[in-house]
Amino acid sequence: MRIVAVTACPTGIAHTYMAAARLEKIAKHFGHEIKVETQGAMGIENKLTESDIRQAHIAIFAVDIEIEGRDRFNGVKVIQVPLQEALKNPEGIFTKIQH
Amino acid sequence: MADRDHRGFEVLFTCPLASGLHARPASKLAEVANRYASECTLTNLRNGLFANAKSVLGIIATDIRHQDRCVLLLAGADQRAASKALQAFVQEILPQCDVPLIDTASLSRGSTLPRSLKAAGVTCIPGVAVSRGIAQGEVVILNRMSLPQKEPTRPGPINSNDELDLIHTALSTVRHQMVERLKYSLTPVGSAVLQADLAMASDVLLLEKLTQQVLSGNSATQAIMETAEYFVDLLGHSESEYIRQRSADIEEICLQLLEEVSDESPMPSIQLSVPSVLIAETLGPQQLLQLDRRRLKALVLEHSGSTSHAAILARSLGIPTLAAVRNARLLFAPGRQIVVDANRGLLIPQVSLAVQRFYEREQNTLDLRKTAWSRTLPTESDTNTNSMEVAANASSGEEAMVAFENGADGIGLFRTEMIFLGREEPPSEQEQFAIYSEVLRAAEGRPVIIRTFDIGGDKKVPYLDLPREENPFLGYRGARIYGEYPQVLQTQLRAILRASPAGHVQIMAPMITSLEEIVAFKVAVEEAKKTLASDGIAFGSNIKIGIMIEVPAIAFSLDRICREVDFFSLGTNDLSQYFFAADRSNAHVSSHFTVRHPGFLRFLEQIVKQIQSQHKWIGVCGDMAANLRNLPLLLALNLDEISVPGAEVHEFKRALSKYDAVDCQKILERALACKNSSEVDQLLPLQPSRQQEPLISEELVVLGSRSQTKEEVIEEMVDAFYVANRTDDRHLLEEALWAREDLYSTGLGFGFATPHCKTNAVTSDSICVLRLKDPIHWDSVDGEPVSVVVLLALRDSESASTHMQVFSILARKLMSEDFRHSLLQAETRTAVTVYLGEQLGTTFTGTVGETLVPKSPVQPQSP
Repeated sequence: MRIVAVTACPTGIAHTYMAAARLEKIAKHFGHEIKVETQGAMGIENKLTESDIRQAHIAIFAVDIEIEGRDRFNGVKVIQVPLQEALKNPEGIFTKIQH
Repeated sequence: MADRDHRGFEVLFTCPLASGLHARPASKLAEVANRYASECTLTNLRNGLFANAKSVLGIIATDIRHQDRCVLLLAGADQRAASKALQAFVQEILPQCDVPLIDTASLSRGSTLPRSLKAAGVTCIPGVAVSRGIAQGEVVILNRMSLPQKEPTRPGPINSNDELDLIHTALSTVRHQMVERLKYSLTPVGSAVLQADLAMASDVLLLEKLTQQVLSGNSATQAIMETAEYFVDLLGHSESEYIRQRSADIEEICLQLLEEVSDESPMPSIQLSVPSVLIAETLGPQQLLQLDRRRLKALVLEHSGSTSHAAILARSLGIPTLAAVRNARLLFAPGRQIVVDANRGLLIPQVSLAVQRFYEREQNTLDLRKTAWSRTLPTESDTNTNSMEVAANASSGEEAMVAFENGADGIGLFRTEMIFLGREEPPSEQEQFAIYSEVLRAAEGRPVIIRTFDIGGDKKVPYLDLPREENPFLGYRGARIYGEYPQVLQTQLRAILRASPAGHVQIMAPMITSLEEIVAFKVAVEEAKKTLASDGIAFGSNIKIGIMIEVPAIAFSLDRICREVDFFSLGTNDLSQYFFAADRSNAHVSSHFTVRHPGFLRFLEQIVKQIQSQHKWIGVCGDMAANLRNLPLLLALNLDEISVPGAEVHEFKRALSKYDAVDCQKILERALACKNSSEVDQLLPLQPSRQQEPLISEELVVLGSRSQTKEEVIEEMVDAFYVANRTDDRHLLEEALWAREDLYSTGLGFGFATPHCKTNAVTSDSICVLRLKDPIHWDSVDGEPVSVVVLLALRDSESASTHMQVFSILARKLMSEDFRHSLLQAETRTAVTVYLGEQLGTTFTGTVGETLVPKSPVQPQSP
């Protein structure tokens, strides 16, 4: 499965990046292909392109705040979870999207 | 002053003192008025209250506040002379005779219980911190000293003459006791308080009232009680809080008188047998001074505000004191242990385990921060230079204290003019001795350079009859006037020498122009030593004598002068304006002729080279040293010391340790080749320090922490920032961390937590690591306890800095088991620091791609 994801937390200092690392790792474990965009104190990094989003089967938002450029995901199936969920139970997120 | 009519003279004035005409200035006014036979009436034109200006009590009862218009009316044979003296007093002396009150707003700030204590269910009682510090002790309660309800019965009829004698004897005994107390090493502030008390005990109104009472048939005891009541009532109804507090002073004096005339003692005497916290409604200065200072750990007062004499004395003696603690005497049983935290403005009634742990850590933190500051900062990377000492300028014991708290290596310039200004007579040897001793004690063995008085020029005093000059800065000032006033110089030199056994003192003469002046100065020092020796008074041996370099002429006879003096200090303010013949305050000429002018820098280089070729010591104490931007130039000039404002010493030390000597040398070489000041300006980096600290240092690694709660862990880590001098406001940093923590727990699972914040409470972006001895609950996502805490603090102003990149790498790495394992296993603080440095691509001591001195500074345009 091709997945795109966005992580963002209130201060953008730590959890945004921890969640991104976690999602990447677990996705790999499940055999998915994933690209994670971070929206933190350094701004948007690893930005998802139009074609990234078009080719994705699903988008995961692990966010605590309103993200930038949400309209880019119009027409894509989005699953949104609190960022903590990506740290607490990332496996759960992937199990959910497989069904 | 107006010659109104034959009835007398008038002196009009407006009260210039922010806290009104209170006891201390009033005692000085009364002192002047008492020198003349004329009647002297003071009227406050705001409220119409008037009084005999020879009476301190009378003066303060007129309730004169800041900006009140007042008039002194003089009538009598010497009214003209009296009005002249009083006119001079209100114009010249009065504006300067206030002791500045401490800003109570800054003192009482806080009064919030630390988080860890709040979480442990500890309660506290707020108070107003009037003297900072923290102490624990056993409660001792002092009940209000009170006038006896009824007179002890005495046999026989009353003989007025005998009773008057009793009163006179009592007054003179009480005054004598005060004078005796004045002799013992008190601070200048303490002396002022005692002086005011003494003035009250010598007050004409007080004596008048007492005499009246006796003549109307009362016994001495009754007379004193009635008189006390009268004054307490008079002052107690004042609109001014300050004056109401003086009623406590007069009451105490009357109680002392009572003690003298009767056998029973109405003054409860207190013997402290263990470390104690004294709780009282209020406390008289005499009473405070009687207490055993080694055992008096803290004071808690119910009423007195920050202007009470007890509070002022407590501050000068360094006794932590909380005031305005309501009903304090009813709250605690004697013998109970309590903690007085006069830094936070609170009192903790129960010393539980949590409280004990907190204050042990707090004490440890404060000690560590102190030693961290006094440690010389240069490290292995700067072996060749940066040994330049950072001393401070000061003009009082308090200023010196601040300087040493900030890590000063010494006092590079102790100005003594302040002691001489704003008064009618030169300060006595005793008074100066007390001040110099206080500074030397604060220095704890570090060198203190005391500069003898630099009067003249723009600074005038009534007791030195200096001529009015067309051009005072090129005139009769500094050492030039010493020949005419040998006695004033002798008194000062004797005071300095007498204080010398208390520390490492050096003597410096101001405004030296010629070799002859130096020789005369040295003769004066020898003379002072001789008279001290013949008086059998001890003084230190081998006291170094130095001079200020302010007059350019001196630079051209240094070869001979070096044989006569031990050290030099560059007074760059005067030196530069004499060098350029340009008044620093005249904008037309001052902007181009600055201390950064290449010509002036060449001049300095020449001076320093000459002096050092003779192996003599040279420092700089002018404004040039006080500007952080000049630091590379001063470092390259190879000075032995810079003397800077006391509060900024640590800033200079930190900056100093960051400079590379070779780079600075290059900057100076380029500067010397520049055409003008503005070209030199461009060579100097604008922003030294800041952001220059490495992201992580060993000081920010805590291993084997015994903290038991999340609150304690965060406090402990914030303390590490404080000790490492990366925050000055622990409270703000802590709150910033909790603001994030309160959103949701930063426990990320696997036994790790990452509290973080963005705040300017930190002075540079930092990573702090703490490893716990026993894991604690952190409300983590996986519910597991936490044993490693990695704290990230980013400054708010820096947008998307390189450091944020490092933080994001760290955040990602924390998801890796290997990384976590290594952090958990690293055995020493160094190992943790080095490992993080490697993993995050930063070096042990440096940050990513930043250096302080630009590698290729702007090239000056070639001529």
